[in-house]
Amino acid sequence: MNVANNGKQSKLKRTLNKLLHARELTSIIFLVLMFAVVGIINSNFLSVSNLTLSLNSSVVYTIVAIGIALVIITGEIDVSVGATLGMAASISATMVRDGSPTWLAFSAAILVGALIGLINGIGVSILKVPSIIMTLGVNSIVRGLIYVYTDGKWVENLPFDFKTISQSKLPGTGITLIYFSVIVIAIIVHLFLNRTQRGKYFAAVGDNEGGATLLGIPVNATRLSAYVICGVFSAIGGVLYASRVGFVTPISGNGYEMKVIAACVLGGVSMAGGVGTVIGASIGSLIMASISRVLVFIGLSSDYDNTITGCLLIIIVVFDAVMQRRNAVTARHERLRARTGNVNLGGIK
Amino acid sequence: MKRNIKKLIFRWEFALALILLLEIIVFGRLNPRFLKPRVLFGSINDFVSICIISLFVTFVLITGGMDIQAGSIVGLTSISIGVLWNDFGVNIWVACILGLLIGALSGAFSGFLIAFTDVQPMVVTLGGSFLYSGLAMVVSNLSEVEAYKGISGFPQAFLAITKGRINGIIPFQFLMFVALSFLAYFLLHRTKYGRKIFLCGVNRKAAEYCGIHTRKVVMSTYMLSGMSAALAGIILTSYLGTAKTDLGKELTMPIITAVVLGGTSNLGGKGTILGTALASLVIGILRFGLSMSGVNTQYLDIPVGALLIVSVAIRSVSSNDRLVSFIKHRFKRSYQKT
Repeated sequence: MNVANNGKQSKLKRTLNKLLHARELTSIIFLVLMFAVVGIINSNFLSVSNLTLSLNSSVVYTIVAIGIALVIITGEIDVSVGATLGMAASISATMVRDGSPTWLAFSAAILVGALIGLINGIGVSILKVPSIIMTLGVNSIVRGLIYVYTDGKWVENLPFDFKTISQSKLPGTGITLIYFSVIVIAIIVHLFLNRTQRGKYFAAVGDNEGGATLLGIPVNATRLSAYVICGVFSAIGGVLYASRVGFVTPISGNGYEMKVIAACVLGGVSMAGGVGTVIGASIGSLIMASISRVLVFIGLSSDYDNTITGCLLIIIVVFDAVMQRRNAVTARHERLRARTGNVNLGGIK
Repeated sequence: MKRNIKKLIFRWEFALALILLLEIIVFGRLNPRFLKPRVLFGSINDFVSICIISLFVTFVLITGGMDIQAGSIVGLTSISIGVLWNDFGVNIWVACILGLLIGALSGAFSGFLIAFTDVQPMVVTLGGSFLYSGLAMVVSNLSEVEAYKGISGFPQAFLAITKGRINGIIPFQFLMFVALSFLAYFLLHRTKYGRKIFLCGVNRKAAEYCGIHTRKVVMSTYMLSGMSAALAGIILTSYLGTAKTDLGKELTMPIITAVVLGGTSNLGGKGTILGTALASLVIGILRFGLSMSGVNTQYLDIPVGALLIVSVAIRSVSSNDRLVSFIKHRFKRSYQKT
């Protein structure tokens, strides 16, 4: 914003344009604004302990959002993440409760997540079932299997060691170790998507499937891997969920798919595919996780949680669409003006 | 080409009818009580809301849209009727009409955003599902009654609309479903408006150039699905005798399942009311029959999900144009040789 004070109109305009173009920045500004407004109303909200708590409580959303963002970037959708999360949570929790070491439970959960992702991926990319239908079906199947596996009972009495995994803090700060690792994962995935050839396939497939095919990009394999990664991340989210909450019910993770998709959208990931970053998705998850805390601090009942979420989602998305359309129109006008200018000059040629 | 498509669609609905028949026979074998007309027809009480809403969500999907907010509109309507009647002293029938209006408005709001801002329908209706379920909570807070209890004690006349049976066998809900199916069929397949909906789904730009107000058409489909959700909310409230915020919470997935299983393409431009109606019955009867044969209710999601995936996978593999034309080509050539 320092640039704005220089007074140069064109520079200001360009900076503003850039700001509006960087989709995560919109959500960052929004996040800061939300925290600032709530901080003015109730200064306790901006205390360090509360801020770190907000960060820490968004960890499950964040890891799942990273996974689903990959799928959304390839232009597909995965509504089975909630069920995958619940399944992984149930499996890891029962294994740990029955005495297995944590690493074994963790790998079992990841394996199951990868398997569910693989099934989704095969259905979508090879059998060509529309992704919403495929994952919807898998969602209900896995939901049912959770009941079969847990017999409809709660998994409780998890060992203390397992629960402390999510509580151990990074030395010197209030941030938990797992949140830190999730952020590291987000950065790694971000670099993978933006700096490696294979990573760029994801956006290419989502942006223009036909073009990607013509360029020789393995479209099916890319989609398949997106689903598998999404399954794995949802499974990790499930283990973290079990460790954080301390018990698992058969309906654990219900509705997570919608919340996580909302988080992605809030973070600027376009549902049309090809546009968006996992960093944006992480910020969106932070917004999603903060809303209920914000309500508490403003002094509203948490009944308003869904209303606010819905309003936010609609406002951000509509604002984004209107801005994009305006940008497109200005760009077209500029192009047109440039072209007609050329025609005038072109007479000499 | 056109005849081929027509044939394919016909075949799919034929297959659905066969599945339905098979279900009835199999479940009848497993449990003879299932075949009693009173039980068989009465089963629709459990899933009539899915049937009604999916009829009109079909419209939305044909325009190339997606509607995942219908479930939350059911809850919003239900609690609104309850609060209007209980705390504001509004006549129950007036409350029902206001409920329908609320449903239409909710649908129109999302439809407006979808049609006029070009945001993806899935995103707007996702926001809508949060918004309307949240509003339902807000509305329930207006009432003196605790939200989790739900509002009950409605007048007998209101409760009676879903309790009646013709000849003691066919429940009113079934008649409502049939009547609405005819209405939807007429709207979609027999009117100009229906043709416009199809054209919007096939090629929105072409429709625009033909002088169709595609935005209005798209918006109206969401309004219709909102109204059908409101109607389902009224029926559910009357049937259960309680107005609650979370009545339609679990409906979203079955509705989409029914519409897609009925042969409607989620890319738009393809679909029939008959298919949706049959598919919603197939799903409903499957769940009902399995639970009557002693399967735990919580396991019922597994066969429904499997049915959805398998049927769509088979259809997508068999309607793969390249594959079909390849086979045809081969067949033609060998035929010509002999």
